[in-house]
Amino acid sequence: MLASKNKATNSLLKSEKKSLFRFLALYVLMVIFIIAILASYYYQTQEKLMLSNQRATLFKYAYVHAKRLKVLHHFFDERRDYPRDPRFKSAIYDIDKKSIFSLLEEPRIHFDEEIYIIGNYIHFIKSLDDFYLGTKYIIIEVKDDGLWREAIWKNILAYGLLAFLFFSLFGYYLAKLFLKPMHDSIVLLDRFIKDTTHELNTPLSAILANIEMMDTDVMLEKNRTKLNRINIAAKTVSTLYKDLTYLTLEQEKENENEYIDVKELIEDRAEYFAILAQSKKLTYEFNLTEATIFMDRRKFTRVIDNLISNAIKYNKRKGVVGFTLVQGELIIWDTGIGIKENKIPFIFDRYIRFNHSEGGFGVGLSIVKNIIDEYHMDIKVISQIDKGTRIILKW
Amino acid sequence: MVKKILIMIHLVSSIYAENAFERNCVSCHQKLPASLQEMFKRYLLIYSSESNVKAGIKHYLKYPSKDISRMSDLFIETYGIKKKTSLSDDELDDIVDSYWDKYKVFGKLK
Repeated sequence: MLASKNKATNSLLKSEKKSLFRFLALYVLMVIFIIAILASYYYQTQEKLMLSNQRATLFKYAYVHAKRLKVLHHFFDERRDYPRDPRFKSAIYDIDKKSIFSLLEEPRIHFDEEIYIIGNYIHFIKSLDDFYLGTKYIIIEVKDDGLWREAIWKNILAYGLLAFLFFSLFGYYLAKLFLKPMHDSIVLLDRFIKDTTHELNTPLSAILANIEMMDTDVMLEKNRTKLNRINIAAKTVSTLYKDLTYLTLEQEKENENEYIDVKELIEDRAEYFAILAQSKKLTYEFNLTEATIFMDRRKFTRVIDNLISNAIKYNKRKGVVGFTLVQGELIIWDTGIGIKENKIPFIFDRYIRFNHSEGGFGVGLSIVKNIIDEYHMDIKVISQIDKGTRIILKW
Repeated sequence: MVKKILIMIHLVSSIYAENAFERNCVSCHQKLPASLQEMFKRYLLIYSSESNVKAGIKHYLKYPSKDISRMSDLFIETYGIKKKTSLSDDELDDIVDSYWDKYKVFGKLK
């Protein structure tokens, strides 16, 4: 009992999973966005720090270079050799930003910045007050070794990953917290059904047994109709009861797999529901060939019962319930109200009911899905509003 | 044919400008202790770019004054301020262009 309860309630519903997934996706995106912004801010700060460290050195180079230009200016044009230094490359530009002479490897210059990184180089621009040789701007260029960048990326990856993991776990906890009220109400409903199921068994068995025992031949037509109605109602309750007991008790039982004659079982179950079908003036259409399946008879019966019961319940008056059977494939179709396309993915969720005009708890198709998943079978639902539904079962 | 004529006109005008520079500037400046090269560097030190240097020289030639001269006080006291030019704007432009081309730094450093 406890095991069955845990199985039914601890697992997340599809809709619950979807909400959880949506929330987590949104949350993770937000976390990534925030981490990316922080990483970008950190990167920029570290870059500025590195440049400010470099600035002092480059300023010294520019100062030395300006002194050399001053000397060259005085001796120009007897001397024409541009001053060179192994520690850096340089260029001189006039006030109109026209190159006077350049030794730079990277020719793109940002005159509006004092120090910046471009390509694999760092540029430092010093503006002169005395324009030696017409020089307004001295550009000092050194190679950027990129070691600082590697260290920054390592830090970003390590701390970013840690923060991401932490926030993801926190988000998961938060999502579970938000979903808890919904989960609790499902648990409550589940427990209520389990408790009430037991109380249904005795009176239901008594009703069905007594109906079977009644001699309808000696009855008045009027009474026979009334008895039929009682029979239909009792069988509907009985199907529901079987579903509920299956959910609460039987699904944990050991499987007793055997080869089942599917054709015979379908005919038998169709006959069982015949009185229900007659009440809606439905007709059966059989197209059955011999087929077998190796599985637990109780479980396969639950699948067939639920599919037939739905095909009858959601049919129109004077409609048709059809059965097509070949080895490995069973199609049960109806000419009923149909299911909206966007609702189809949710019809196997427990307690999901799209039509409240018919009774039920919404557990039937959930049972069907559990069983076919257990036996690795395939189920496909094709439906058109007001035309009908076609359930295709493959094994 | 038209191309040849244009080239000829350009050559002739260049030679004329060169001659005008020699005639109007070099003839007097070669008597002074400060060379035209030195004076050019003084303009460069203040004005930096081609357009600024040319504008500065042209302005001084048209409106010579002690206040805006690039030369030292001692030089001015000794040799005085030059007379206001009598050349037209076009002639001045040609002469200043020749002066720039002769002493510019562009293309000379190595």
